[in-house]
Amino acid sequence: MAVEVLEPFLKGDTGRNTRGLLRLIILCTIAAAAVASRLFSVIRTWHPLGRVTGGTLYPGLMVTSGIIYHVLRLLSMPVDIRNICVLLAPGFSGLTAFASYLITSEMTTSPSAGLLAAVFMGITPGYISRSVAGSYDNEAIAIFLLVFTFFLWIKSVKNGSAMWGALTALFYGYMVSAWGGYVFITNLLPLHTFVLICMGRYSPRLYVSYSTWFSLGTLASMQVPFVGFLPIRSSDHMSALGVFGLLQLVAFVEFIRQQVPNKQFQTLLRGLIFVVFVVSMGVLVLLTVSGVIAPWSGRFYSLWDTGYAKIHIPIIASVSEHQPTAWPAFFFDLNLMIWLFPAGVYMCFQHLKDEHVFVVIYAVLASYFAGVMVRLMLTLTPVVCIAAALAISSILDTYLVADNPIPTETQSNGQATGDSVKSATNMIKDSLRSTRNPVLGIYSYISKASVVGAVTTYLLLFVLHCTWVTSNAYSSPSVVLASKLPDGSQHIIDDYREAYYWLRQNTPDKAKIMSWWDYGYQIGGMADRPTLVDNNTWNNTHIATVGKAMSSREEVSYPILRQHDVDYVLVVFGGLLGYSGDDINKFLWMVRISEGIWPDEINERNYFTARGEYRVDDEATPTMRNSLMYKMSYYNYNALFPAGQAQDRVRGSKLPAEGPQLSTLEEAFTSENWIIRIYKVKDLDNVGRDHASAVAFDKGNKKKKTAKRRGARVLRVE
Amino acid sequence: MRSSTLFVICQCSAFSSIAAGSILSTPLSSHQILPDNFKPPQVFKNANLLRNINLEKGYVKETVNVVIENIDAKEQDTYYIPFKAEAIGNVGGLEVRDKKDPEKPAFRSEVVEYDPYSPTQFYRVTLSTPLAPSAQQTLSINYHVLSALAPLPATIDQQDKQYLLYTFSTYWPSAYVTEKQKTKIKFSTADIPDYTAQPLREGKTFTYGPFEKNPAGVEQEASVRYEFTRPITHATLLERDIEISQWGGNLATEERYWLTNKGAHLAGQFSRVEWARTQHYSPPTSALRGLTLPLQVGSLNPYFTDDIGNVSTSRFRSNIREANLELKPRYPVFGGWKYSFKVGWDANLGSFLRKVKKGDGYVLRVPFLEGPKMGEGISYEKVDLRVILPEGATNVLYESPIPVLASEMSSHKTFMDTLGRTTLKLTAMNVVDEARDKDLIVTYDYPLMAAYRKPLTVFAGIMTVFATAWGIGRLDVSIAQP
Repeated sequence: MAVEVLEPFLKGDTGRNTRGLLRLIILCTIAAAAVASRLFSVIRTWHPLGRVTGGTLYPGLMVTSGIIYHVLRLLSMPVDIRNICVLLAPGFSGLTAFASYLITSEMTTSPSAGLLAAVFMGITPGYISRSVAGSYDNEAIAIFLLVFTFFLWIKSVKNGSAMWGALTALFYGYMVSAWGGYVFITNLLPLHTFVLICMGRYSPRLYVSYSTWFSLGTLASMQVPFVGFLPIRSSDHMSALGVFGLLQLVAFVEFIRQQVPNKQFQTLLRGLIFVVFVVSMGVLVLLTVSGVIAPWSGRFYSLWDTGYAKIHIPIIASVSEHQPTAWPAFFFDLNLMIWLFPAGVYMCFQHLKDEHVFVVIYAVLASYFAGVMVRLMLTLTPVVCIAAALAISSILDTYLVADNPIPTETQSNGQATGDSVKSATNMIKDSLRSTRNPVLGIYSYISKASVVGAVTTYLLLFVLHCTWVTSNAYSSPSVVLASKLPDGSQHIIDDYREAYYWLRQNTPDKAKIMSWWDYGYQIGGMADRPTLVDNNTWNNTHIATVGKAMSSREEVSYPILRQHDVDYVLVVFGGLLGYSGDDINKFLWMVRISEGIWPDEINERNYFTARGEYRVDDEATPTMRNSLMYKMSYYNYNALFPAGQAQDRVRGSKLPAEGPQLSTLEEAFTSENWIIRIYKVKDLDNVGRDHASAVAFDKGNKKKKTAKRRGARVLRVE
Repeated sequence: MRSSTLFVICQCSAFSSIAAGSILSTPLSSHQILPDNFKPPQVFKNANLLRNINLEKGYVKETVNVVIENIDAKEQDTYYIPFKAEAIGNVGGLEVRDKKDPEKPAFRSEVVEYDPYSPTQFYRVTLSTPLAPSAQQTLSINYHVLSALAPLPATIDQQDKQYLLYTFSTYWPSAYVTEKQKTKIKFSTADIPDYTAQPLREGKTFTYGPFEKNPAGVEQEASVRYEFTRPITHATLLERDIEISQWGGNLATEERYWLTNKGAHLAGQFSRVEWARTQHYSPPTSALRGLTLPLQVGSLNPYFTDDIGNVSTSRFRSNIREANLELKPRYPVFGGWKYSFKVGWDANLGSFLRKVKKGDGYVLRVPFLEGPKMGEGISYEKVDLRVILPEGATNVLYESPIPVLASEMSSHKTFMDTLGRTTLKLTAMNVVDEARDKDLIVTYDYPLMAAYRKPLTVFAGIMTVFATAWGIGRLDVSIAQP
């Protein structure tokens, strides 16, 4: 019945429209699902995790949210800029899903592949990790721009159209303004072009699209202040320029080939290639040596040598997302797609048109980079989605067909349904013909059902996995910790905001806060107070100064604090709650970074026990126990416990019976669960004593004095 | 004296642009400027006077019952109440009623002069019916004084008891001769270590007097120092928005508080260990730990946020009988500390709005304040109440239960408005939590066409988008047809 009713809608011209509408609805649903699955975190908190505009940032993100804000204001929709920031990433993820639909649709004729890719892109944890509501980060819009630029590029290579090329350049420019990862595009497109040329696939289409993109795109990227003249000066960008030159040569050679007889052409070609190679290499070397072209940046090296950063730039290595990826992470972030991915790439080899070459190159490069750095999993995700969608859609296209394939010239035409045995015997009979003209397709309903069922199960499991990962791993904002009470109700540990709000309300406006740089943006955004270093301070020395103040003795630290006008020092301490991301666990990085600048004063070895253990209990080294960080973390902590029972629940160790004494700082605020501890830097002593003796005096070390007086009295009596 | 007062005024004007800053004594408007050396005509005398000072809350509440007698030859209707210049900026909610007939509306009372150089300022009360010569009438005068209590010692330890010092005159400062008077003070505790002027002490009550034959303007200074180990919660500013959605049948309320605790400051720094230790048996403390907002029954969707997002420490208990919103600040607010936040909730409009039988008129009846209700009370230096009426509402009239300093009509443009919504803004100074129980009444006209303005606008807008999209789709931008 239903089929009959639907019949006119699915066939002919109306059918085309219906399918189009259906596709649109599916896409909208996917976009909505993509947005919805990123809202787990909003349920817990509403705040974007504190990025404050800095002078050295890529402006794309802020400009985008600003434009959205003003457009909404124009339509008199008074949406708070904060809400726009929170929802920007989920909104753009909907667009990313759409972009991956477009790019996958370019790869194959199968109509379902695009939709599958969109679904995958919409819900895969690998992308959600960077685009949950509230993650107001460059990546939020950059991945959409990345995928969409690739789509435009493929479109332009396919059509050889200057318009698509110009659009590619436009979105490339947008991408440059949004994320430092634009270098990936800058190198991937030339590589694609280069490989195509090497494969002998040079065509005027390639020439038009690449030249358009390169010239317009480079100009566009130079408009971004933070990038400036890098595109023509830094080595990272040289491949694009080189391929551009090569393309001109190839075009020239092609032109000559049409004009000159074959023999002379060979000689000419050889000579030309040699001369150009020598000249361009010479120029490149000369420019690099003379310093016009900047050498490769440190982060670039760390992509090839994973140990490079740890030795030369500890500050980069200290960020957890710059660590090499652990293998389970691939499965965690991509689930079933990780094993469909090679299949999809293999299928690209089967067709191997220009756009498939692109996917293959992209797949190879991105897989490598994702293995080097956790963070770059993000660039791998789109290509994995595309490849997996190609694989799944080809399975579904083959198996999810109700009708049996109709063999062109067999007798079993009319009775094909269910009679597979007979048709099989038929086929054996005239095997010769069938090999000549094989009938491809699946006849058995059982095999159809089992394969389709299996794929459906996998897809459902994938959805389940994505939902679970998203709600559990990626949606917990780092400032709010959620835990479950014994009765199952949710308990929220909101210490960060408690302390930040206290700072905001109860300290002078200009009070300077010193903390490790991880918390800089948070303090800037939530506490609204100036900080010494923050997440954007790539001034290594300054960070090392803070590290030194934290890891030295009070007598050394105090002058540093005074010199930097510090009013309050903030430390994160997880010992009471068992919160492992605290400052004591990060402490070794502080030590290492400051050791890089002051190797004479700070020595990492001194913080380890003789047996090479990092301890905080009785056996902790004197250097450790006298460091400001140790003292601030454990000051007064003993008072919470019965005598001698103080316990650190992160390190799982019993603390020394006597807690540390502070003389140059005083405790100003400690949050409810002790996660944030804020200390006020004492002013200089009124009577000019040093702080240690002033504290000793205040505590009333009467013993000494009374002893003296008694002594004096005794003398007088005698 | 003069120079110092002038300084205060200058400071005020300098800081008036800061919303949450101190708005200590923004000049109260005056219709009639009296000469500098003005003395109220001696046409009345106070035959008998009983003054009650209530110190149970974080502000001073005074109730004066006075029998006045016209001693002039003509009938009189203007009674003056004097205040010191430095105190009048903190006086709020002055209300004078006929003691014998409390159901009648209060007499008109207003500040007659605000000349910052004059040491004495007056409230003028106009009796509704003039008093015949040598006739008597009993007045009930109610008012409260903010910022009159000072902690002494000014800094205490975290667990110490807090003591407040209150300085006052045992005689009620009257502009007229007072035949007989008595002053009573009520405390919330019997722990009153210091006091002057030998009162009669009965438990938690002090009685001064009776005093006979006090001439006009005479004062006798006295002070009491009493225990008050509770927070002195004070809002420097409260912004309260009441938004009506006639389409959605919803009354949305949002309140933004800038709270501070005017109690004794901490002598040292805040100690979490000590605080955590005492939390088990919750002794009285001068720190503000929580606030309870009893909302109208049927309120829903409450939220509690501050500048950095949702505050997770709130609880909402709602059932048929009550709807209590319990808030806990992110940290205990000790003396001198501040805490600003925002709460809001929805309610069904039906229980607040009524349509007038004839015409397009509507009557809205909402509480003037719905702030926290606590034993120690809460005072507001300035309250900005905005009633946002539907777009196109006209002919707005209001009746306020408490004295309003200024009222202003404006337009508030929000969700897809074309004209902006009609907004009534009322400003009141020196308000206390007693205003909770008093209702503000607003009437307005809202014609049917105004209600359909927005759907039509949105419809037109969407049609324009479609038309544009269709037009763009028809454009042919290719360079050459192959």
